[in-house]
Amino acid sequence: MNRRKIGVYVCHCGGNISDYVDVEKVVDAVKGEEDVVVARTAMFTCSDATQQEIYDDIRELGLDGLVVASCSPKLHTFTFRGVAKRAGLNPFQYTQVNVREQCSWAHTDDRQGATEKAVRLVRAGIARTRLLRPLEPTVVETVPKTLVIGAGIAGLRAAIGLADIGLSVVVVEREAEVGGWVKDFGPMYPRDKEGHELVRQLEAKVRQRENIALFTSAEVVRKAGSFGDYVVDIKTHGKSAMTMQIHVGSIIVATGFDTYRPEEGEYGYGIDGVVTLPEYKKMLDAAEGPLAYHGRPVKDVAYIYCVGSRQGDAGPHQYCSRFCCSAAVHSALELYSRDPSARQFHLYRDMRTYGRYELMYRESREKGSTYLKFAEDEPPAVQKGADGRLVVTIRDQLTGQKEVRIPADLVVLVTGMVPRENDGLVGALKLPVGRDGFFNEIHPKLRPVETVVDGVTICGACQFPKNASESVASGLAAVTQSAAMLKQGRAELDPQVASVDPGLCTDCGVCYETCPYDAIRPKEEPEGRRVAVIDPATCKGCGGCAPVCPERAINLEGYTQAEIKAMIEGLAREVV
Amino acid sequence: MAVARPAFIDEVRQSEQFNASACMNCGVCTAICPMGLEHLPREIFRYVVLGMEDEVLKEQETVFSCLLCKLCEENCPAGVHIAENVRSLRHYFDRKAFRI
Repeated sequence: MNRRKIGVYVCHCGGNISDYVDVEKVVDAVKGEEDVVVARTAMFTCSDATQQEIYDDIRELGLDGLVVASCSPKLHTFTFRGVAKRAGLNPFQYTQVNVREQCSWAHTDDRQGATEKAVRLVRAGIARTRLLRPLEPTVVETVPKTLVIGAGIAGLRAAIGLADIGLSVVVVEREAEVGGWVKDFGPMYPRDKEGHELVRQLEAKVRQRENIALFTSAEVVRKAGSFGDYVVDIKTHGKSAMTMQIHVGSIIVATGFDTYRPEEGEYGYGIDGVVTLPEYKKMLDAAEGPLAYHGRPVKDVAYIYCVGSRQGDAGPHQYCSRFCCSAAVHSALELYSRDPSARQFHLYRDMRTYGRYELMYRESREKGSTYLKFAEDEPPAVQKGADGRLVVTIRDQLTGQKEVRIPADLVVLVTGMVPRENDGLVGALKLPVGRDGFFNEIHPKLRPVETVVDGVTICGACQFPKNASESVASGLAAVTQSAAMLKQGRAELDPQVASVDPGLCTDCGVCYETCPYDAIRPKEEPEGRRVAVIDPATCKGCGGCAPVCPERAINLEGYTQAEIKAMIEGLAREVV
Repeated sequence: MAVARPAFIDEVRQSEQFNASACMNCGVCTAICPMGLEHLPREIFRYVVLGMEDEVLKEQETVFSCLLCKLCEENCPAGVHIAENVRSLRHYFDRKAFRI
């Protein structure tokens, strides 16, 4: 084998590592390893100065392998891949060794042991690097078309945005009508534009655009292919039931939320006159003047907040649904506009009318709404009184915990958002579902609409509770992200993927079941044999298939059988 | 146990200026009161908006001790018309307690 030229850099991390690991000793121990031509320590390897030093070493010494022993690869893999690339070294001939999270921080009680472990970890990294091949990203051509799933306010607005950028769009909506929840809304804050009017406008714009195809009563049943060219099966129901197959470059998921349905008896739900917020909004939107319920006038209204949200450790809905405080206060103002003499009591845990919705909260107090705070462990009780009216009992914190009975004609349970049931779609798209049941983004701040599935973005309230304007904003973020990927016309995919050696494969079928991404499929060989083939564009390089193969026919690039064996030998040299 | 009587506020209200429900119960009024009136005006307004008439009637002394100096009103972050509200309360006592 040709000699390699490997540079090794061991980081102090300002003391995070060097307080417990003797980094000079580590360098002394590994500088004599085979193929190592330079080994140094650095105070902060990620600093510009040390990056420049590594760059110079790569250029001047002609390094063809790089080992950085510092923090977790989660933090700086892309930093040092970048250094390698700039200096002309293939970025996949670099190994990150974690001597911080996996060594110094874990062994603060044993400096000598930590130093010995660091030496072994770095040796393993060097052993791997000696075998690394240069890799080039897989390039795929992208289809300039996006699939939008869900035609609520976020999905419709996203479709228009994509179309105006010049991409073709297919919109798939499960319901017979577009518009989701918003199509049933009356006046919305702050301009009192009616929800159904907003939806009508959006739908008209969608229908005007020739590059948008809209399918209602339709569902996505299967997804194959990979980012840049997904093959999606869509099934339509009803009169024109059929299944069609389309090719799209990217997918935007905007499937929205469901509303929390209280249990029978939860805050009196089930008693005549106890309604949820969506039920109440429908009544309000239908009423011209003062409200009536079952023919009786509604004068006194009690709202109970946080129903189905912030359930503590006990319930599945531990999150705050965010929109409901503002929506309930808005409803109270709507009632005042129909009946200024209505008396409204708000029983809340914390008021979260964030941003400009605070102005509605203030206005509602000025118009006479009374707010009473209750504690999580002492919720208000709702009962039917002797006179047939409802009575809500609450301990009022602001009058020295006095128990107050509030008579009411109507009790509104301010219900939050829950994730919508979408098992079929989750299965078809392999969407990442969080603990709370909503879909997960990669990074809440910096990659807020992308998912771990390349080219699949999420937006609107399928991600977490959002109001209409926040849903539309995230929809447009998904548009930008999709367009940025598709407009380049080509996509570069990580080349660290698995492949099957057809000579060793016996088509035993074990790996087909293992792959979470459906990347492995059987292929007929000319001699009538059948072998497994991994699509490099679909494979995520998770490595799940490699160890289950009884023939060891599968190798993950960057973590091949030979590389892993060399790492183990480097780690355990004096032990075995 | 107190029973809220929402209609009570309409008996106390003497003018459109009456806005006890705008109070957010921060307590600046109580802290700043030169008379050191403990129950004025935050808690009394609370009793009014909740319709707890019995509690309000206990506060006759407090309601009439107010100087109407408006120091609280000047400093109220919620824009409550405190002096006007106290006048409304006095009028209520006149009718209800003194029958004049």
